[in-house]
Amino acid sequence: MAGREAIKRAVQQVRPILSVDREEARKRALNLYKAWYRQIPYIVMDYDIPMSVEQCRAKLREEFVKQRHVTDIRVIDMLVIKGQMELKESVEIWKQKGHIMRYWKESQDPKPTDFLSKFIQGV
Amino acid sequence: MSGLSHIMRQRPFALQMSASKVANVLVARWASSQDIAPMDLKSILARPEEVEQRNKLSGKITVPKAVNLSPISGVPSDHIRERRVRIHIPPKNAMQSGTDNLQTWQIEFDNRERWENPLMGWTSTGDPLSNMNVQFGSKDEAITYCERNGWRWYVDSEQTKKERVKNYGVNFSWNKRTRVSTK
Amino acid sequence: MSALIRNLGVRIASAGLASKHVLPSVSALSHRLSSTAAADAKKPEKPTVRKPDAVARTHLSDFGRYVAECLPKYVQKVQLTAGDELEVLIAPEGVVPVLQFLKDHHQAQFTNLVDIAGMDVPCRENRFEVIYNLLSLRFNARIRVKTYTDELTPLDSACEVHKAANWYEREIWDMYGVFFANHPDLRRILTDYGFEGHPQRRDFPLSGYVELRYDDEKKRVVCEPLELAQEFRKFDLAAPWEQFPNFRNANPPAEVVQPATPPKK
Repeated sequence: MAGREAIKRAVQQVRPILSVDREEARKRALNLYKAWYRQIPYIVMDYDIPMSVEQCRAKLREEFVKQRHVTDIRVIDMLVIKGQMELKESVEIWKQKGHIMRYWKESQDPKPTDFLSKFIQGV
Repeated sequence: MSGLSHIMRQRPFALQMSASKVANVLVARWASSQDIAPMDLKSILARPEEVEQRNKLSGKITVPKAVNLSPISGVPSDHIRERRVRIHIPPKNAMQSGTDNLQTWQIEFDNRERWENPLMGWTSTGDPLSNMNVQFGSKDEAITYCERNGWRWYVDSEQTKKERVKNYGVNFSWNKRTRVSTK
Repeated sequence: MSALIRNLGVRIASAGLASKHVLPSVSALSHRLSSTAAADAKKPEKPTVRKPDAVARTHLSDFGRYVAECLPKYVQKVQLTAGDELEVLIAPEGVVPVLQFLKDHHQAQFTNLVDIAGMDVPCRENRFEVIYNLLSLRFNARIRVKTYTDELTPLDSACEVHKAANWYEREIWDMYGVFFANHPDLRRILTDYGFEGHPQRRDFPLSGYVELRYDDEKKRVVCEPLELAQEFRKFDLAAPWEQFPNFRNANPPAEVVQPATPPKK
């Protein structure tokens, strides 16, 4: 147990992916956010999705806020890389309508939260 | 650049060469005339900010050893939040089988709801991880794996098999000479 | 028995009956007998086991030793697997220099990149192995270069050495999630757009996490969490008995090629 606690505090020298410090990683994440934000009107127009630009921007914000707790520089970089790839796929219209709508998880029923809906769904 | 155009005027075939090749020839000539080692083309032609970025990335950075890879592992976040991993040694078959497959540790996820398929009566499940089986050489490796991937884990208590002395069959062992000849 | 035959042959010859088709038949008979006797003396070989050529093995291990001496900074180990396949195990930062060396060295000329493979061993600290298979058409030789990495450490892309590496590295990125630095066009190649995760990892379930179906109301494909109408059965395929005790020490999977002179301290 003590060994694992020590590991939690230990640091290591590693090879960077894109950024060398937190500030740079933060800048990259912000740039990615801005790029998505600017492309959203075109994405909505090109894919003809049944969502408004505001809804898309809210979803964009939600997706970024979901990863707000991430502090590791390299994990942030990997997320930025994956987000960048997804942005490219969307902008180049390699994706289809269904791929874009996948962010909203429409066909999944929301989990029951209050007592009555839990009771009705039998959980 | 004037040298480049000069060469191109002089030799028409150079027009078909790509720019990098021409530059290569140039560097080689220049290097041989100056009598120094040829330089790396990439570092010569790169913009200053590119060079700066490359220099930055060639070094190392200091990060904490403990990482949580769950945001990039592709596992849906509700699994990360709700599931719990059991780290254990697989139990021996209750029959008189051998024990050659019991040397590894493995991880297993807690059970999720199963239901009976209304059409066929099959056992249905919504759990993709129920049949996943990852084996490890030791307990610590499994724990490290779980912590890196953000799983909640617990180690199932190790069952040590007690070696028992066979207490009935020994009596008739070949060297006991308990069987007395009746002749 | 052979003495008898010989006597018989001599007698036939001396009797003047040696017409042209009698003598050869007798000599053929004696020849056949002697050949079976020689075969009995030799130990019978197992026909299924391919014996590696000893000369080729020495050539390969010499070459491996030479590579290790030329690139001591990067080469960690040289080994022969399956008898006559040369493997060079290198540090992750040495991918480009080692491949460049093997490609450009006049006595190697490994100019063809046949394949890049990935391997995932989740119990290791560096859980991924990336394996470069190279072919030298000039010398009709193959070599395997292996390196290692984990989920977050980038490897240098081999694209600047071998153009063929482009798609192979995209495959590795897609299937295992190993990031290749300086790759000209790193993006998914095998999975669908919007797919999350890396399917060749050992901890990726066989069924995946989501399922897709065409929704007739929405007129498009929708993505849902997985529901299996029949759960996969758990087969315990590991046999409880030792399978091939005869082969317990048959062929070592890898023989390490030792450096020619032990390093001085």
